[in-house]
Amino acid sequence: MFKKILIANRGEIAVRIIRACRDMGINTVAIYSDADRNSMHVTLADEAYRIGGPKPSESYLLKEKVIEIAKSSGAEAIHPGFGFLSENDSFAEMCEKEGIVFIGPSAESIRLMGDKITARKIAKESDVPLVPGSEGAVTDVEANRVAEKIGVPLMVKASAGGGGKGMRLVKDMNEFKSALRMARSEAQSAFGDDSVFIERFVEKPRHIEIQILADSHGNTLHLFERECSIQRRHQKVIEEAPSGFISAKTRKEMGKTAVRIAKAVNYRGAGTVEFIMDQNENFYFLEMNTRIQVEHPVTEMITGIDIVKWMIKIAHGEKLPFKQSKLKINGHAVQCRVYAEDPGMNFLPSPGKLEYVSAPSGPGIRDDSSIFSGYEVTSYYDPMLSKLIVWGENRKDAVNRMASALREYIVLGVKTNLGFLIRVMQNDEFRKADIDTGFIERHPELLTPDTDNIESSLIAAAICIDNFQEKGQDTGAGKPTSNWKILSRRLGVSRNMMI
Amino acid sequence: MTYTFKHNTEIYKVILNEEKNQLIVDIDGTEYPVEFSMIDNNVYSIIIDGKSTTLAVLKKGKHIQVFHNGNLHELEYISEREILKGAAIASGLEITSPMPSRVVKILKEEGDSVELDEGVIVVEAMKMESELKAPSSGKIKEIRVSEGDAVESGTILVVLSAE
Repeated sequence: MFKKILIANRGEIAVRIIRACRDMGINTVAIYSDADRNSMHVTLADEAYRIGGPKPSESYLLKEKVIEIAKSSGAEAIHPGFGFLSENDSFAEMCEKEGIVFIGPSAESIRLMGDKITARKIAKESDVPLVPGSEGAVTDVEANRVAEKIGVPLMVKASAGGGGKGMRLVKDMNEFKSALRMARSEAQSAFGDDSVFIERFVEKPRHIEIQILADSHGNTLHLFERECSIQRRHQKVIEEAPSGFISAKTRKEMGKTAVRIAKAVNYRGAGTVEFIMDQNENFYFLEMNTRIQVEHPVTEMITGIDIVKWMIKIAHGEKLPFKQSKLKINGHAVQCRVYAEDPGMNFLPSPGKLEYVSAPSGPGIRDDSSIFSGYEVTSYYDPMLSKLIVWGENRKDAVNRMASALREYIVLGVKTNLGFLIRVMQNDEFRKADIDTGFIERHPELLTPDTDNIESSLIAAAICIDNFQEKGQDTGAGKPTSNWKILSRRLGVSRNMMI
Repeated sequence: MTYTFKHNTEIYKVILNEEKNQLIVDIDGTEYPVEFSMIDNNVYSIIIDGKSTTLAVLKKGKHIQVFHNGNLHELEYISEREILKGAAIASGLEITSPMPSRVVKILKEEGDSVELDEGVIVVEAMKMESELKAPSSGKIKEIRVSEGDAVESGTILVVLSAE
């Protein structure tokens, strides 16, 4: 096995990978930007090296520098995590050339699947169903023509896109022109490439994806599906496995289809084939993510397979010991992405210092995070604070457990989506698994808290001000001046006596 | 002691009283028996009439953030002096930048009428564009930024006036 691995990432995924390495007795090398000196991935790793300024383009995206640090530190392999260089085929190629193992698929597989248009072509050739749309990138004139032909609702999508950036939904042809402009401008600033394509928008679609695990000995397995239909800004917020919707027959069919497309690109490592599904369980290929995904833990919880460890083992040449027919789904898992953002303000990021953090614990609860009291959420990176994952014997138990775990989570200092997530867990439609990617848009009432229950907050605020004023006055000859202050002190004393 | 807070547009009067070794909190005339303990910096365990709850409180000047059951309530403390002065309580007629961002497009001009929730200005942060909407109906009184400007969190971008 490898002796040392460099983790070319930050945040919770870097922490997740470091922990997997530690379990396996592998030494870890972290890299960090100036904004991340105090981050958990730096403190947990065995070695850590500064890579550059806070912007990703000055640090985590510097391919040559990452490789240089890997070589000088003696790391034999690089785990790219997700985002940053994880789906960068030229980086994978550079690693290959420099004799460093890239923990992921070949540069060729990344290239084929990374270009949405090529990916669609491969899917078509592999008999994988596709959503109707333009054949490739379009000019504004062609875009108009295709849009007229397939009709609304339709999607404008960045060819180089991912993670919801450079993506626009058009419900009315009058909005088409401005949506096209916005998608192009976002695509340009996010990916340096403004080409877009047009696609039919499936009504009430569910997002269902299949986890793939493939070794370099020709074994390609699927680890069942994840449903990620709860999205905001076309980005996943709540994920679960298995889906609470699809039949065993559809599950089998989707698994086979996903394996087929993975095999078509000689896939190796962990990857995900994403599908969009209509209300009749018809599914269409969306894209393949050639990396570990944010929501991989829910699959780990229901299969007992540690996907990150297997990525490392596969990269080292190990053979998968599992047989597809022996794999089973055990119970149900749900993941919530806890973000520093304001659901009431269209989920706008809310950077700032975390004054206090307390994570939930208990049976079946897993908190994949890298935050702590005093951690600073900067605007340089994605504002995800934590991935809270729970397991239950069935969907109902898992959802209840999630609601309870979310209520235990305390994050003070920035706005978070915790309250919103709790309200989703309590929503009847969600509880009945009657969900689709339009769920959040359809439920604006979930975005802001109910203010009927403001009393306890007012009481806490009053006590806080009272304490503060007392402290302020105590710097002098500190004699309590009100009954309340005398009482608060006495309560303090009696507490101590009780202990 | 009496403390006055503003939450959204509501004003609440909270009175802390000691009665027979028990803290009684009066909120706008309703009384709650309260027992509390600070369990960590900023974190309070509060038992209100037997119901136990945990809250985290952050005071930034007169702005108090209270985290409770996943929700962050933003309260504004109004001191007695301010009440005496009859200070005008802001009426939500400003659009401020919610985070460091860049102004991409200004959709309205000074003097334009806007409806509640109508888009006024588009900002970009973290490579995502967001349309900031009018917090109330009214007229655009003043636009303080230009397209392309980089703005800090909390910067007032647009001032509205009620019609």
